[in-house]
Amino acid sequence: MEERKPILSAKDIEITFSMRGRYLKAIRKCSLDLYEGETLAIVGESGSGKSVFTKSFIGMLDNNGSITGGSIMFEGVDIAKYTKESDWLKIRGKKIAMVFQDPMTSLNPLKTIGEQIREVIELHQGIKGEESKKMAIEMLEKVGITDPANRYKQYPHEFSGGMRQRVVIAIAAACFPKILICDEPTTALDVTIQAQILDLIRNLQKEMGMTVIYITHDLGVVANVADRVAVMYAGELVEVGTAEDIFYDARHPYTWALLSSLPQLGEKGQPLPTIEGTPPNLYNDIVGDAFAPRNKHALRIDFIENPPYFEVSPTHKAKTWLLDPRAPKCEAPKVIQQLRSKMKGR
Amino acid sequence: MLKYSIKRLLESLVTVLIIVVAVFLLMRLMPVEGYFGDEYAKLTQEMINRKLESLGLFDPPLVQLGNFLGDIFTGNLGVSTRIQIDVPVTTILAQKVPVSAAFGVVSTFISLILGIALGVTQARFKGKFMDSLGTGYIIIINSVPPLVYYFFIQVFVSDWFNLPMRYDGDNPVSWILPLISMSLGSIAGNALWVRRYMVDELNKDYIKLARAKGLPYKYIMYRHVLRNAFVPMVQYLPVSFLMTIGGSLLIEELYAIPGMGNLLVQAVQKQDNNLVQVLILIYSTVGIIGVFIGDLLMMVIDPRIKIGSKGGAR
Repeated sequence: MEERKPILSAKDIEITFSMRGRYLKAIRKCSLDLYEGETLAIVGESGSGKSVFTKSFIGMLDNNGSITGGSIMFEGVDIAKYTKESDWLKIRGKKIAMVFQDPMTSLNPLKTIGEQIREVIELHQGIKGEESKKMAIEMLEKVGITDPANRYKQYPHEFSGGMRQRVVIAIAAACFPKILICDEPTTALDVTIQAQILDLIRNLQKEMGMTVIYITHDLGVVANVADRVAVMYAGELVEVGTAEDIFYDARHPYTWALLSSLPQLGEKGQPLPTIEGTPPNLYNDIVGDAFAPRNKHALRIDFIENPPYFEVSPTHKAKTWLLDPRAPKCEAPKVIQQLRSKMKGR
Repeated sequence: MLKYSIKRLLESLVTVLIIVVAVFLLMRLMPVEGYFGDEYAKLTQEMINRKLESLGLFDPPLVQLGNFLGDIFTGNLGVSTRIQIDVPVTTILAQKVPVSAAFGVVSTFISLILGIALGVTQARFKGKFMDSLGTGYIIIINSVPPLVYYFFIQVFVSDWFNLPMRYDGDNPVSWILPLISMSLGSIAGNALWVRRYMVDELNKDYIKLARAKGLPYKYIMYRHVLRNAFVPMVQYLPVSFLMTIGGSLLIEELYAIPGMGNLLVQAVQKQDNNLVQVLILIYSTVGIIGVFIGDLLMMVIDPRIKIGSKGGAR
């Protein structure tokens, strides 16, 4: 693997929410390096902390949440230490931008599309008047909106869902951010539009040299776009590796379980595999491996001590005792081993 | 847009016409004493009939209705019979409406400015001290009967600041207390709605995106949240301004302001039929006009409303 410098480096991040006197640890010691120009996908079930983790990169945690440990190094500064809104405003939207799930509600219904793009350009690049209008129209054209000069004057309700998501992406990309975080950008769209939006993001990324983080629970999307994948469970990154590593050489039982639930792998006539049980309650202190109670391959130590990361290869690490040299040999489930051939057969 | 405006205008006209007819019919059910002054008891039946005939009240109902409509369109609203005997209604209104309207418009402005400022502050510092303070004020104003604080202001506040307790048309200082009394309630009302609508807007997704765009909080508050929160309020603005011609019953009474406040009550009590008729017509027509203008304003300010025209996308 080529030697690349991380553009953003999160170390041992802990995020805690206070809820009526009780404390919820949403993120528990997550470390992640983000390399320039790559596409990283963070996957995991609802509530695993994917969104919270990435929101902490732009200081958009809800008011009752805060980073209670660790560091996030970005351009030589530890942004985890930022407390003032004015600090975040130097980064947010300008260097790190975000696209949200639901394009139907993401735009202000009473402002024209043009105004909403122009706002960011004027604020972050200090370009005013006709010049910023021209840039906004160029941006619209860039995200594939036909007749941009006229569309510029229209309101969100005159756009379809897919078109609105294009506009949201235009807003996010308008300031040439270094990092673009896409929080389930295609979940609310129908399948044909999904592919178009993913293509659009990929093209913009290439053109503008952005680094992209996808948050998704759609493994199909992941396979489609990601260079690297981080699997998240109960506020921890349980396995991180290249897309190749995760799909064809997964080591963590949770990743196995996720992959086995792919509908594409289901047998006709058989019920689709699911993961039994529910994620742990994060209000409580978790003893041992958070996934142990749902883990078919759990060892006794999983209930006693939280496993460390074991390095599988320089690009691939997983947080499971199964990788300890002392652990009994445990093979990935059959379906997973056949993943490559199964996917090809389709 | 033009089509919608015309449609709404015609609808309003029809509503006004229905009210005119309803008022006309109801007034025919009133005792005829209302058309006479205090001399009624002394009049003979013949004299009464002669007067009623001269008023056209023995004509067939449809002819009467026609005459009534004709009179309204020519601006002939008749004379008052019991409150200010034989004085044209228009003259009475010309004296009283400007006083009430002046107080009302100024107080509406004050309460809009202060009410919105309070509501915005509450929304900006939601859950913090300023918010609780404002909520406390709103609760007190809404739960204490107005007469209590009206009296308090008239008796104590006038004493503390050495302000007059009675209205004097030539002395602007005497206008202060009634204006304050009049505004307190509507400040609370406006603040409540502004805060409520702003908090509604604040929780919407587009605010999340606006924040992710890196827009400063203050900018988002004023340029996105307040602007959008204002839309549902705009509809009621024209009505609240126009309805000020009705005056405030309690306050005009307390400060002896010669406004419209108790005119309708008096007219009903004394059975001044003609005056009642005119007042009801004016109040309801003004209300309808207000709603009409409100709808037009809504249409101008909210691009999603384009009823009756091309019928926007989606």
